[in-house]
Amino acid sequence: MINLDNISKTYQGQVKVLTDVNILIKPGEFVSIVGQSGAGKTTLVRLLIGEEHVDQGRIIIGDWDITKISRHEVPYLRRQIGVIFQDFKLIRKKTLEENVSFALQVSGAKPNKIKKIVPSVLKIVGLDAEKNRYPHEVSGGEQQRTAIARALVHQPKILLADEPTGNLDAINANDIVNLLLRINKFGTTVVLVTHNKEIVNRLNRRVITMDHGQIINDQERGKYLL
Amino acid sequence: MLFLYRIIKFSFQDIVRNIWLSVATIMVLLLALFSINTLITVHLISNSAIQAVKTKINISLYLNADSTEAQISTLKTKISKLDNVQQVNYISKQSAINSFRVKYANNPQVLTALRELGRNPLSPSLTIVPRDFNESNLVINELKTLNNPIIESHDFSNNTLILTKINKLTKRINEVGLFIISIFILISLLVVYNAIRVAIYTHRREIEIMRLVGASNSFIYMPYLFSALIYSFLSVLIVILIFYPFLTLLQPYLNSFFLNYNINILAYFINNFVLIFGSQFLVVAVINAVASLFAVRKYAKI
Repeated sequence: MINLDNISKTYQGQVKVLTDVNILIKPGEFVSIVGQSGAGKTTLVRLLIGEEHVDQGRIIIGDWDITKISRHEVPYLRRQIGVIFQDFKLIRKKTLEENVSFALQVSGAKPNKIKKIVPSVLKIVGLDAEKNRYPHEVSGGEQQRTAIARALVHQPKILLADEPTGNLDAINANDIVNLLLRINKFGTTVVLVTHNKEIVNRLNRRVITMDHGQIINDQERGKYLL
Repeated sequence: MLFLYRIIKFSFQDIVRNIWLSVATIMVLLLALFSINTLITVHLISNSAIQAVKTKINISLYLNADSTEAQISTLKTKISKLDNVQQVNYISKQSAINSFRVKYANNPQVLTALRELGRNPLSPSLTIVPRDFNESNLVINELKTLNNPIIESHDFSNNTLILTKINKLTKRINEVGLFIISIFILISLLVVYNAIRVAIYTHRREIEIMRLVGASNSFIYMPYLFSALIYSFLSVLIVILIFYPFLTLLQPYLNSFFLNYNINILAYFINNFVLIFGSQFLVVAVINAVASLFAVRKYAKI
């Protein structure tokens, strides 16, 4: 469960990017958050991964109130929330497999666990044959799938996808969305932040529409309104 | 153990992947350490030179040739009781001529002249060793107040002037040395800081990803701290490898320059190995670690 309770966020004490936002996302939901540039979508993601703090309101993830999460606690939060971004954020000098196992290495996982988990997540995202290739040797879609695999290694209950199809062509974008739907079927809550109208309309799932830092629409089986 | 293993692994990866940056960092540290050790050597040599001059300081009272042993003994006891006097040695006429003959054994002209004279022209003397050589003036002043008829003459030669000059020179050398050391420490601090900053700048993306996937703060900065320790260790190790052959080459020149004096810089460095190089490693490691910590904090926003 994700509960954003009446949150507001202002940058440098002047630019108000979020105003009185209330969102309740139930476990296992697939929610799209849509809106034009500057609507406050990315700020929402940054708040959910502990990169920013709210000025007002509360953020609760599961039973954990992360409103005033300390720097020290952030790594533990990020091991519970998988995040993928538009620019994939892969390490160029590491193979796809190394990129995925890196997430486990830095969190102190034992080698046996790494050997067990990494091949299985690579299989889920369909990259077991490409695991020894470097990011620049594969397509954008495959890079994003590697990022998804990396996000899945901690077996998170929530997967945040911030414009995951922004750098992809239509075919690869569809592949990624299908993969997110499959992950959601396993019980993972998926929050998709996007401004891709076709994808949102095809999904036919809950859609939260934002504009100028406020929620202007929240529909159970919604469409892209803007 | 696993945490430590991965920190060491990432640290070595970082050093190898940025090999030229690592070499440049070590070179700067090396230059700083070499100049510090050179200054230690110069300091030791100048100290040894002062000690050599001090042993040559000779406050002598020359006595009448016909002074009786009793008179000399009374004077010797009187001088021995002076506050600033450590020791008084009596050199008889005979032992003075013996020493003279030994000293000029290779100078037949002097010995011939002495023979032709047909008598011992040297006076008995008292040699006074002051308690503190830097305050030998006090002894001289006290000796000047002695009014004893058996004192024929005295030799208060300009040793104090030489001593003052050498002390001045040593002070100057130490001041300049301290200035150079300070400059080098400052430069190496800035260069190491910048080297670490560049290393962290090139790893910004990796650090961002590490933070994104849940790496703890200690896991992010520990490899850089470990790299700083490696840089310090390697630079001290290389300076040892360079400096000992350098001292071995220098020692024979010192031996011939300070003939008859036991000045062994190499032995000093060997006997004080742990103190000299251990403290240098500690200081360099602390400077590097602090620089790394600041750089990581600033550029990785931990």
